Amino acid sequence: MLVTFLEIFLIGIGAGVVGAILGLGGGIIIVPALTLGFGMSMRTAVAASTVSIIATSTGAAVAYLRDRLTNTRVAIWLEMGTATGALSGALIAGIVSQRLLFILFGLLLSYSAYNMFKTRKAELHTGVVPDAVSRKLNLAGSYYDKALCHRVEYQVTRTIPGLIIMYFSGAAAGLLGIGAGIFKVPAMDQVMGMPFKASTATSNFMIGVTAASGAVVYFARGDVKPLVAGPVVLGVLIGAVLGARLMVRMRANLIRLCFMPVIAYTAIEMIYRGIKWW
Amino acid sequence: MVVTAPEDKKEKVEAIEAVLARLLRLGSLVAAALLAAGIGLMLLGLTTLAPRLITAGLLVLLGTPVLRVLAAGVIFVKERDWYFAAFSLVVLCAMAAGIYFGRGE
Repeated sequence: MLVTFLEIFLIGIGAGVVGAILGLGGGIIIVPALTLGFGMSMRTAVAASTVSIIATSTGAAVAYLRDRLTNTRVAIWLEMGTATGALSGALIAGIVSQRLLFILFGLLLSYSAYNMFKTRKAELHTGVVPDAVSRKLNLAGSYYDKALCHRVEYQVTRTIPGLIIMYFSGAAAGLLGIGAGIFKVPAMDQVMGMPFKASTATSNFMIGVTAASGAVVYFARGDVKPLVAGPVVLGVLIGAVLGARLMVRMRANLIRLCFMPVIAYTAIEMIYRGIKWW
Repeated sequence: MVVTAPEDKKEKVEAIEAVLARLLRLGSLVAAALLAAGIGLMLLGLTTLAPRLITAGLLVLLGTPVLRVLAAGVIFVKERDWYFAAFSLVVLCAMAAGIYFGRGE
């Protein structure tokens, strides 16, 4: 039992580090590891993974908030989209065609992977002009970048399109059970013009809220197995704290380089899941 | 007046981040301690108490995002930032409704 605990714990640390740096939940690591590596049921794995998303978010957010990388105002604005989206996704599940959604969101992700590849050399966006909503809500932010060794001041734009994308990504998460952070990072980075590091940190902050409602439901159904979720979540918490410390010192280009294979893989996987049921 | 206005806003933003960071750190420390204690007891063979401690740790962790939105909402109300107070309320209601409908499945 000690060995199994230790293995699950180490997987958790790895998932926590990766999740914290990229602003994702880490389900992409935890679910396959628990189902394929330890032969656990999908329900147990997904439940453990959902609680770990909260661990990634909470563990890393402390460092990101202290470094002002998290834009709390943008986070709350966009959480309205994800939370109401997740709710409507759960309500209309079964009415809409899942395979069509998989293909649609897969294509959307492919497009943002392509965009990310195009802008891979740019450390920061330049010439972002805030829109009226962004000015009204005072969404602009600034942080001290420990990798660039200077303060980064930034503006936020296309506030309404960002909110709409968050609504649909929240619905996708509710309907397809995927994508805690994979849509949030490109929405802030590519659509709203936020710096990449502020995007991953703010995504990280938001994923805990989206996961919390889901996690309560898994708890109520008894899917959260303490002996599985315990070691994973403890590992993820520690990993997220370590990952956040690494991330604040990393250059945005390097983080984006790590993000691109993940987004490309997820896009291909989603399109495949949509097509194979045809 | 024009010079001091942005300064005031910055002060407020920093205050909310400090409060939330403290809250989240407290939540993760308590959760980690409960989880570590539970796993430790499990390895020592105390199989009745251990899962309860772990579950308690997981529940503490689960509560942190909810408390975080609640705390942000309270801060916005105190600052009379009504837009963001309303946004926080929308998020809280959507979370509550999500839990309510999810349990019924």
